[in-house]
Amino acid sequence: MPFEELPHQADVRVRVTAGSCDGLFAEAARAMFAVMYVTCGRGELERSLSVNAPDMPGLLVDFLSELLFISEVERVVFSSFRVEVTGTSLEAVACGEPFSPEKHRGGMEIKGVSYSGLRIFRDGELFCSEILFDV
Amino acid sequence: MLAGIERIDEVEWEVPIGYVPGMRVPGRFYLSGDLAGTLETEAVQQLANVAVLPGIVRYALAMPDIHSGYGFPIGGVAAFEQDTGIISPGGVGYDINCGVRLIATPLTPADITNPRALIEALFTTVPTGVGAESEMRISRHDLEEIMIEGVDWAVAAGYGTEQDTVHCEEGGKMPGADVVPVSKKARQRGMPQAGTLGSGNHFLEIQAVDAVFDDDAARTFGLHPGQVCFMVHCGSRGLGHQICTDHLRTLESATRRYGLEIPDRQLACAPVHSPEGEAYFGAMAAAANYAWVNRQVITHQVRTVLNRMYGIAHEEMPLVYDVAHNVAKMETHVVEKGRRTLCVHRKGATRAFGPGCPEVPQDYRSVGQPVIIPGSMGSASYVLRGTKTAMEKTFGSTCHGAGRVMSRTKAKNATAGSDVRKDLLKRGIVVRATSDASIAEEAPDAYKESDKVVDVVRRAGLSLPVVRLRPIGVIKG
Repeated sequence: MPFEELPHQADVRVRVTAGSCDGLFAEAARAMFAVMYVTCGRGELERSLSVNAPDMPGLLVDFLSELLFISEVERVVFSSFRVEVTGTSLEAVACGEPFSPEKHRGGMEIKGVSYSGLRIFRDGELFCSEILFDV
Repeated sequence: MLAGIERIDEVEWEVPIGYVPGMRVPGRFYLSGDLAGTLETEAVQQLANVAVLPGIVRYALAMPDIHSGYGFPIGGVAAFEQDTGIISPGGVGYDINCGVRLIATPLTPADITNPRALIEALFTTVPTGVGAESEMRISRHDLEEIMIEGVDWAVAAGYGTEQDTVHCEEGGKMPGADVVPVSKKARQRGMPQAGTLGSGNHFLEIQAVDAVFDDDAARTFGLHPGQVCFMVHCGSRGLGHQICTDHLRTLESATRRYGLEIPDRQLACAPVHSPEGEAYFGAMAAAANYAWVNRQVITHQVRTVLNRMYGIAHEEMPLVYDVAHNVAKMETHVVEKGRRTLCVHRKGATRAFGPGCPEVPQDYRSVGQPVIIPGSMGSASYVLRGTKTAMEKTFGSTCHGAGRVMSRTKAKNATAGSDVRKDLLKRGIVVRATSDASIAEEAPDAYKESDKVVDVVRRAGLSLPVVRLRPIGVIKG
């Protein structure tokens, strides 16, 4: 299971797992959009982005925050991601489709990606993260 | 009650110094015995973390709707000295000046012969849910004016009356707002969203006054039994979210530069009067002003629909009051060292200034500031009034709502949204949302009973009930 929702009374906490660091970042982004939108179709629209941060938790928060920004102002719903992490920088391509009220309305807005309880860790061969979204 | 917590009295509890390392003051929270089971260890830990921050005055406080958040717990209140203390976005949250307002009308429930038609008219008029955009077109200059002038801008632009500004906390205009530290990204997000409700727990509700507890105060606030009112709950939308995100990053490096020890990265902070602290305060105040305009524009939309459907003039639908839930402000309080101007953070808490305070509008000053407590969807809301006790014990603060007891996923799994909608309809409450799933998330069972939360603040003397409002119709964001 690439991501699962963990109990949290007010907001949404997810646990994401992947076989690589690149995959972990991609899955974290996919989890975020799955929380936000009831339906995420596989779109043709592509958007590239680069992010630099002082450390890995910062990189994850900044990456997800940048996707929230792009999604909102360019009105795109992303559903799949290719990410290449190098040190504390990354290059990514996000794929999605234009926001359509008929298709996408009814989801849950994410206001921010929190540092509280943010964890990135190894579990055997797996890369794991727990992330709290303010909704 | 959880281990390590000490009872002070019937509804007041202390988290002693030492609960987490580095606490400068104890934590204090308000909760009744029957709500004790709702308290999460994580929320107490977050309250204790606040007590670690430099310059904190007296206690890290939490109201009875305390639950786990990020940085501060929800329901958290803390005041910091100006010279030795800090300011932190973790004490405000992403949705800066998320707040609630109450609008009175001359209608009674009997006048609303077709509540569904009214709810539909409001639902099609007020942009609601993820991705909804405002029909209001504003220029970049307008956006800057909104961030500086707040509700004064809205009134000048024809979205309200002079009296509306008087009945907002801070007059709907935070002093110290600065657009310079508001990023281009935040502006881009703010441009299309002024006058939109958003999603999550945001709502627009039609209510009727069904109980009056304090005749004098109710009369002073212009409320009477059977009166139909409207309640609006929303905040600063993407503009506020982006300002929090941007400044959290800046304040993280400031935390390191000033050598501040923090127990949670979300509590990134800077001295109140450092360049970074002042930049955050200015941008946060700008977002607070945007949020007041947002609620003001929605108020105008509601009044326009009611004018069209019932022939009542905008002036016959006065704003009772508007309160902020997520904000940091410079306020003067009497503490051990005398009258001090402190940087008071409220995150999921409401200002509740008592009678005689100059910050309370003159027409309400004899009874104290109105405090508006929204219930969960389908349960009662309340108007309370601020007290002298709140001024003495909680820097003039009280609870902000019912407080969740069930996660959104659990709520969705517990009951289908369509069943919640039908159950509420049987009780005479029409619910309209962009999806049934979002109705299930906000089901009444997912929250503490507002009656119990209000009872705790009454027993603690932090605010006193004036009227109760029962819901008639809900537009869920």
